[in-house]
Amino acid sequence: MTDPIQPPAQIVVDRVTHMYRPPRGKPVLALDDISLTVQNREFVALLGPSGCGKSTLLYLIGGFLPIEKGAIISDGQKVTGPGPDRGIVFQHFALFPWKTVKHNVLYGMERQSLPKAEREKRAMDFIELVGLHGFEDSYPSQLSGGMRQRCAIARTLAFDPKILLMDEPFGALDAQTRGLMQRELLAIWQRSPMTVLFVTHDVQEAVYLADRVAVMSARPGRIKTIVDTKFDKNDPDIFKNKFFVDKVDEIWNLIREEAIKAQGKRT
Amino acid sequence: MQSMPPNASTGEPLNGLPEKAARLAVNLMRAFARVFSILVLLAAWQWLSQSGTFTPYQLPSFTAVVGRIWDDATTGDLAINAGLTLYRALAGFAICAVLGIAIGMAMSRSVIANWFFDPIISVGFPMPKIAFLPVIILWLGVYDTAKITMIVFDGIFPVIAATVIGIQGVEKELIWSARNMGASKYEVLRHVVLPAASPQIITGLQVALPLSLIVTVVAEMLMGGYGLGGAMMQAAHFANSTSVFAGIVEIAVIGYVLIKAMALVRRRLLVWHPEANAPATA
Amino acid sequence: MIASLRSNFVRYLPLLILAAAWEIAARFELVSTTALPPLSDVVRSWVELLLDGDLVRNSAASLFRIAAGLGLSVIIGTIIGIGMAWWKPVNILIAPIVEVLYPVPKSALIPVTVIWLGYGDGSKILLIFLGCMVPVTIGAFNGARASEQVLVWSARSMGAGKLRVLWDVVAPGALPELLNGIRTAVALSFILLVSAELIAAQKGFGFLIGSLGAGGSYSAMYAVVLTVAFLGFAADRAYLMIAKRTLAWREAA
Repeated sequence: MTDPIQPPAQIVVDRVTHMYRPPRGKPVLALDDISLTVQNREFVALLGPSGCGKSTLLYLIGGFLPIEKGAIISDGQKVTGPGPDRGIVFQHFALFPWKTVKHNVLYGMERQSLPKAEREKRAMDFIELVGLHGFEDSYPSQLSGGMRQRCAIARTLAFDPKILLMDEPFGALDAQTRGLMQRELLAIWQRSPMTVLFVTHDVQEAVYLADRVAVMSARPGRIKTIVDTKFDKNDPDIFKNKFFVDKVDEIWNLIREEAIKAQGKRT
Repeated sequence: MQSMPPNASTGEPLNGLPEKAARLAVNLMRAFARVFSILVLLAAWQWLSQSGTFTPYQLPSFTAVVGRIWDDATTGDLAINAGLTLYRALAGFAICAVLGIAIGMAMSRSVIANWFFDPIISVGFPMPKIAFLPVIILWLGVYDTAKITMIVFDGIFPVIAATVIGIQGVEKELIWSARNMGASKYEVLRHVVLPAASPQIITGLQVALPLSLIVTVVAEMLMGGYGLGGAMMQAAHFANSTSVFAGIVEIAVIGYVLIKAMALVRRRLLVWHPEANAPATA
Repeated sequence: MIASLRSNFVRYLPLLILAAAWEIAARFELVSTTALPPLSDVVRSWVELLLDGDLVRNSAASLFRIAAGLGLSVIIGTIIGIGMAWWKPVNILIAPIVEVLYPVPKSALIPVTVIWLGYGDGSKILLIFLGCMVPVTIGAFNGARASEQVLVWSARSMGAGKLRVLWDVVAPGALPELLNGIRTAVALSFILLVSAELIAAQKGFGFLIGSLGAGGSYSAMYAVVLTVAFLGFAADRAYLMIAKRTLAWREAA
C-alpha cells in the first residue's frame, strides 16, 4: 500500500462527525463531516474562529475524546485512545506543577525502555534546545509563561512522538514572547522536520509557520478551504514579503465573514 | 498571621534609610512586639491574680500554674495524660485522613459511591456530631474505641469534602497530558490526580486536625479516665482550679505544636505551589 | 417542577435508605433496641417531648446562648480583625495573641468558664464568644487585608476620608472572607454549646440529652440528638442563603 515515491500520510481524518454534549441542554453539532490528510513531515495549521471545533478535532486525533462517527488513522493505525506516538502541547502548558522542569521532561521518557543515564542526558538536551538551561531545577510556578511553554514543548519532544499536536500553544503568551516562540519553533522544525498539526486563531501565525492552512468555519465546524502557504520562511523581511502578505489577506477575507457570522449567531 | 499588613509590602523607607535596613528594623520590631505582647499578657495575668480582685480559685497566679505543670511533669502524670490525649487525637486524625481520602476518591471515581455518600456528606458535614456522644457511649462504652470513634465521626467530613472538591478541580489537560505520555489509569491517579488535589486535601486535613483536638478533649471530659481532658474534669470536681488552668496550658501547647507541625508539613509538601508561604491560619 | 422533585428524591434517597435500615434493624431486633430504638419510637418520643414543653424550653435556652455568644463574637471579632488590617500597631500587638489562641482546642476552656460564671447562661455564652471570636477575627483580617489598593486609592482620590474609605471600600471587600469566618464560627458554636451543656448545665440541649440518657429514656435521647443535628444543619443552610444574598454583587461582577 505504501507508495515508494510518495511518503505515506501521517494523519488521515476520514469523515469525522462529532456532537458536543453539554451537561445541561441539547447536544450541539461540533464537527460536521470533516476530512483532512496531513503528510509525513508536513506542518499544517488548523485556523478558525473560536468555537469552530478546531481544538475538538485535535483532541479527537490525540485520542482524548471518543470518535463516534468516521475514523482517524495515525501512522497507519486506527486511533482508539491516547498514545505517545502523538505528542500534544496545550495552550495552558499542562505542566505538572509539583515536578521541576527536569522531572516534567523526564516523565514521558520514564515509560520507555531507555537506560536512566540516557534519559537524563536526553532530558538535558531538550531543555537546552528550548533555551531553559539553568532552570532545570525550577518549579513551573517560578517560570514565566513563555518559559513554561518551552518546558512543555521540551517535555513533548523528549518522548519522541512521530506527530506533534499543538493546541494554540502560544495563545496565552504576550505578543513579544509569542513572536520569539514562533521563530524558535520554526527553527526546531526546520532542523528536524516532523508532522505537526497546529491549532490557532492567529492568521499571521498560521501563514508564517505552516505549509498548508486548513481554514475552518463555525457552527457546525467544517473545513472551508485549504490554502497552500509553503514558501521560504527564512526571509528576514518575511512580514513584508509579497507572498506572505497576499496569503494573510486571502485567508482574512475567507475568515472575516465567518467571524461576523459567528458573532451574530452568538448574540 | 505572621504576614504583613497591606502597606508594609510597599515598603516605604523609614527616615530615608536604605530599604533593606528599614525592612530589617521592621522585622526586628515585629519580633520584639511578638514576644512583648505575650509577656504583657502573662504579666497582666500574674498581676490580676495577686491584686486581690479575684480569688485564687477564680484565677490562680501564673507562677502557681507553672509550678503545677512542673509538678505534673516530675511525677510523670503529665507524660501519661498528655501521651494518651496525643495518642487518641492522632489516631483519630490518622483514621480520618486515610478513610476520608479513600471515600473521597471513591466518590470521584464511582457514580454509585457518589450517589450514596453525597447527601450523607452534605447533610452530615454541618451537623454538630458531638451531640451523638451519648449515643456513642451507649454503643461502645467509654474507652479508647468510643473516644476515637467520636473523633473520626467529627473529623472525617472535612477530609471527604476537600478530597472530592480537590479531585473535581484537577485540570483535564493535566490528566490528558499524562495519558499522552503513556501513563496507565492507576498512574494517572497516583502521579497526577492525587498530587494535583493535594493542596485541597491538605486544607481539609488542616480543618480536621483542630476539630480532632476539640473532640478529643470533650470526649475525655465526658468519658473520664486518664488523659488531659479527664484530668481537668477531675480537678474541677475537687475545685482544684490551679490544675484546671495547668490543663488548659498543657492542652494549648499540644494544640499549638500539632497545628504548627501541620503547617510545616504543608509547606514541605507544597514547595512547588505558589502559595507555599501563605499564612497557615486556614 | 415534577422533574426537580424527582431528582431531589433520587438525590436524597440514600438518607431514606439509611432511615429504613435503622427502622428495620431495630424493629426486627437485629441490634439491641436499647442501643438503637426503632426510628418510629424516636419520632413518637419527639412528639411527646414537643407537647410537654421540655424540648421547647431547652431549645429556647440553647438558642439564646448561641445567639448571644455568636452575636458578641461577630461584632467584636470583626472590629478587631479590621482594626488589625487597617492600623499597623493594632496588628503588631494583637496578631501574636491571636496566633497563640488560634490553635488552643477551645473545649479545654469549658471547666474554666464554669469556674468563672457557674452553670448558667453566662459560662456558655463566654465559651462560645471566646471560641468563635478567633475565626471571625481571622476572616475579617484576611478580608480587609486583601482589599484592593487600587480601590482604596481611587476612593481617596475622590476625596473620601480615611474612615469613609474603611466603610465604603474596605468593609465590603472584607465581606466574603468575613462571612467564611462566620460560617466556621456557626459550626463551632454548636459544637461548643452542646459540649458545654453535656458537661455542666441545668438546661439546654446537651443537658436534656444527658439527663434523658442517664434516665434510660433512649428513644427520647435519640429524638433530641437528631433535633440538635437538624438545627445545626438548618443553621448552616440558612446562613448560606443569607450569605448568598449579601454577596449578590459578587456573582453579578
